[in-house]
This record gives sequence, structure tokens and C-alpha cells, in this order.
Amino acid sequence: MGIVIAVISGKGGVGKTTAVANLGLGVAMNGKRCAVVDFDIGQRNLDMILGLENRVVYDIVQVMDGEASLKQALIKSKVNDNLRFLAASQSKDKRVLNSKKVQKLIKELKENFDYVILDSPAGIESGFEHTIEFADAAIIVVNPEVSSIRDADRAIGILDSKSQKVKDGGEVAKYLIINRIVPDMVQSGEMLKSDDILDILNIKLVGKVPEDNGVIDASNQGKPVILDKHSIAGQAYKRISARLCGKKIDMKDVEVTDTSILKKLVGIFR
Amino acid sequence: MFDFWRRRKSASVAKDRLSIAIMSDRGVKDIYPFMDNLKKEIVEVVRKYVGVRGIEIKKEIDGNFEAISIDVFLEKNR
Repeated sequence: MGIVIAVISGKGGVGKTTAVANLGLGVAMNGKRCAVVDFDIGQRNLDMILGLENRVVYDIVQVMDGEASLKQALIKSKVNDNLRFLAASQSKDKRVLNSKKVQKLIKELKENFDYVILDSPAGIESGFEHTIEFADAAIIVVNPEVSSIRDADRAIGILDSKSQKVKDGGEVAKYLIINRIVPDMVQSGEMLKSDDILDILNIKLVGKVPEDNGVIDASNQGKPVILDKHSIAGQAYKRISARLCGKKIDMKDVEVTDTSILKKLVGIFR
Repeated sequence: MFDFWRRRKSASVAKDRLSIAIMSDRGVKDIYPFMDNLKKEIVEVVRKYVGVRGIEIKKEIDGNFEAISIDVFLEKNR
């Protein structure tokens, strides 16, 4: 039986889909069978980030409605044999989802994969609720910025009350990814520090991802940035993926750049 | 050099604003774990004397002061 991880954020545009694509591929690169599922019905995006938009034949709603089997609908990654992708419907509305259908789908995915990573829609509406409903764990993606953090807290609140695991008396594991950190701004006090964000949200950190232009370049090409050995965001996703697979990897302090240490030294002698 | 002290860094402003906004978003129930018990006990005490229809506890934050306000709604004609 695999583990189901919902990737959520509250606010849109913080890098949720990018995180799903990279973590999915990263977990697969660690030798685990992984399925990434786009739950953002009506706004299919994960296919583009993975470079699989031309291969989509059947989507998640067709599988839930029994018009296609899961096997038919799962698309194999071009770069890693362990990774499969299930597309969101582009034409339908998120109201087509219901708990029973979602539960059945998740169960089948769990039986076939070690990791099932769900890309949640932004917001805290029904589409979001269905994504978290049957998840064992959640990864919350935030940017070091007030509106993202506030919305994330709302999403965490709903996760804590609507998840089936919590209703059954259990607990959903929650992990935070702080995305798009600009080290220079953190150093100069113009961007929230990771520690401050952790204090406010009160959840465990699983990784910090620095701002990196390579992310846009990667999405232009449909090749997740984790494949780019020189990308600092790619390296961050590699570390997070390894942590998800149970490896002990020290938290790299991406907020301290070599240049900022240098600047401090220069400052002393000024 | 004094410029540095005069202007507060915006990250610390962000932290303060966020802490307050999130605390009020969360509501009292999540701030104080004892809230459900407190409610129950207050209702029990007041019920000894008058009928109680409901109870509402709110957290109020205004600048530096914090308070919880407790409203007990009574039954009519008692």
C-alpha cells in the first residue's frame, strides 16, 4: 500500500504544480513507483510542466466515471520508468467530483504505487477538499510573502477538519516547502526568514527552494527543473525528494549565500 | 548608519502583521485547547440559576491588548 500526499497551498501561483512535477520525478529517481495526479479539474497544467500534454488520451474524470480504466489513463513519463501521470479534465467542471468516486480512485492508485502525489487546485473550495480528503500526508507550498502564508494557514485549518484521517481520530502529517526564497532579500531583512514562517504556521519544514530563473526555462521546455544539474531549485527538489523517501539529508540553508557571507566580512573591515 | 535604525525592516513588519491576522483567522477554538471544556462548564454554572440558550466566546485583539469576551444567551421569560 502506497502513501498519498496532497500538495496544497491555499493561494495560487506559488509553485504547487512545479513542486508536484519535481517531487514526483524526484521520488521516481529514488527508485519508488510514483503516480502524480492533477486534481485541478478544468485547469489542466501538470501535463505541460511534465512535457506530456500531447500524450493525454483519458483523464481523471473519465476514470472515475468508468469510461476508461486507470491503466489506460496513466501516462508514462518520458524520462523515468517509475513515474506515471494522470491528467485532469480540461472540459469538465470540478463539481463532477464526489467523495465516493475520489475514494475509489485513490484506493486503486495506492494499491499500484509506492507514492501517490496529488496536485490540488488553488483555493479552499470543493476541489481542494476532495484532494485532501483521503490523503495520508500533505505538503504545503508557500512563498515568503504575507498573502501566501495567510492563505496556507486557512488551507491547513480545513485540512485539519475535513480530512478523513482526522475524522477517524488520526492525524494527517503536514510538511512545509518554502518556495522562491531570495537569499539577498532575507539577508537584508526585506523577506521573511524561514524560521519566522515556521513559527507562524507551526508545522514541520521539509525543504526550502530558492528563487531560480531555471524554473521558467524548465517549464518552457516541459522538463522538470530537477533534471537540470546546475539549477539550485532543482537541487533543492532533489533533497526534498530524498527526504520524502526516508533519507536523512541535512537542511541546506539556502538563505545564506556565499556572497552574503563575503559581504558581511567586507562590512567588518569597512 | 543611523538610517539603518530609523526604518524598520519590512520582514519584521510582515511577521507582526501576519501573526495578528492569522490569530484572528483561526478563531479562539484553535488558540485555546481548553475552549470546549470552558464553554461546557460555564453553561453548567449559569444553568443552575437561569436557562441557557447558547454561548459564544470571542477573542479580541486591539493593538497591544488581548481579551476574550464571553456572551451567554439566556432563554426568554426566566
